[in-house]
Amino acid sequence: MAELKVYADRMSQPSRAIIMFCKMNKIDFEEVKVHLATGQHRNPEYREINPMQQVPAIVHGSLKLFESHAILRYLACAFQGVPDHWYPSDLSNRALIDAILDWHHSNLRRGAAALVFDTILAPIFGRPLNPQAAEEAEKILDSSLSKIESLWLPGNAKFLLGNAQPSIADLSFVCEIMQLELLEEKHRERIFGPHKKILHWIENVKAATNPNFEEVHAMLYKTKEKIHGKMSDDAMKSGP
Amino acid sequence: MMKLKVYTDRMSQPSRAIIIFCKMNRIDFEEVRIDLAKAQQRSPEFQEINPMRQVPAIVDGRFKLFESHAILRYLVCTFPGVPDNWYPADVSNRARIEAILDWHHSNLRRGSASLVFNSVLAPKFGLPLNLEAAKEAEKILDSSISKIEGIWLKGNSKFLLGNFQPSIADLSLVCEIMQLELLDKKDRERILNPHKKILQWIENVKVATNPHFEEVHAVLYKVRAKLHSNPSSISGESIKSGPKVKLSPKL
Repeated sequence: MAELKVYADRMSQPSRAIIMFCKMNKIDFEEVKVHLATGQHRNPEYREINPMQQVPAIVHGSLKLFESHAILRYLACAFQGVPDHWYPSDLSNRALIDAILDWHHSNLRRGAAALVFDTILAPIFGRPLNPQAAEEAEKILDSSLSKIESLWLPGNAKFLLGNAQPSIADLSFVCEIMQLELLEEKHRERIFGPHKKILHWIENVKAATNPNFEEVHAMLYKTKEKIHGKMSDDAMKSGP
Repeated sequence: MMKLKVYTDRMSQPSRAIIIFCKMNRIDFEEVRIDLAKAQQRSPEFQEINPMRQVPAIVDGRFKLFESHAILRYLVCTFPGVPDNWYPADVSNRARIEAILDWHHSNLRRGSASLVFNSVLAPKFGLPLNLEAAKEAEKILDSSISKIEGIWLKGNSKFLLGNFQPSIADLSLVCEIMQLELLDKKDRERILNPHKKILQWIENVKVATNPHFEEVHAVLYKVRAKLHSNPSSISGESIKSGPKVKLSPKL
């Protein structure tokens, strides 16, 4: 089978989801680092790979593909031996996961990514912080977390839709939520305080995907330490 | 077999995509109108259908589904005889269409829907216009339109990705762009006229899906006519059907 190249920055939430999916499913790939903070995604060479100049992107034979959900669906279907729970072949179950993946863009992704960017990350990319935008983003995030809990984590649900095993939707969402690690502890406590089910679900996804989960998130934890100046090993290992 | 129920408002871009798709593919369905201007999406009954309280949504037997792209994928795979061009079985070709569908949410959809809402439609829902938000939205829209042309309509492409027949991505994106019909003619022309490929592509999709395209967009055209012949209707009065009325300047 053709070689798979995954263009990623582990600081990017959807990049982490792709890398973890490949490792979980023993899909052989070459990770090509595209360093966002130094603008590598804007290089003309990278534009040949992904004209949207974003990560993640993959090249697999003659196929160049961007958008993490399209990539996850493709990998689940194109590679042998990927267990059905990641992206079920049953049409109704698959459709329910598609709905969650689609909903993500304008809701959880929009809220979480904007909150972290406008509160913490913007200066790394030469932009000013924007507390007003961050406030708006937090409202969207809070509403999104509530919806996830009430619609997709009913009762003692282990994974989204009450599934016994994680799907690509669980992976995508939890990688997104992990970006909130970059916020100060007091902000994280305020955001997650009302959402115990979310915290429990994150632990379930970690347990199902470790040691890959922790390994892929190591860079995020390191960045968190640098930003907040903490030097505690324990803080790095214990998660939110 | 219970008939497919499709919950829609033809003023909603993704609702129109679902209806056109069903008609094109002779999928038997019952259209249940959810009038957004009357906030019918907030009724407890509709919340049972779609807890997100948005259109479109479908009920197929006991199966409930929302999010228009998920619905389109489901319909393609569930109903027999849908031609392959809508959502190809080939894994790579399908993946390229998925990328467009995913990209849409934060780009074309975000720019276009926000522009139209903040510059025209908001009062219909009891909200104020927001010209600053509209300006930001127009930047996103303009960038999105340029990307569609530059990446997916290269050369003499008839449809996205140079395909000879439309896919669910063509349908979804063109129904979204059609919402710009509600803008002032001069604004619409300013936005779209520099993009000849986009205009040609819209025509290609119309030709491929008529008469359903025009029939499904009739509501939109009617609302456009009322909005632009009767400026005071923008300020929040409910839009009633009837002949065009010229406003007295003293009103």
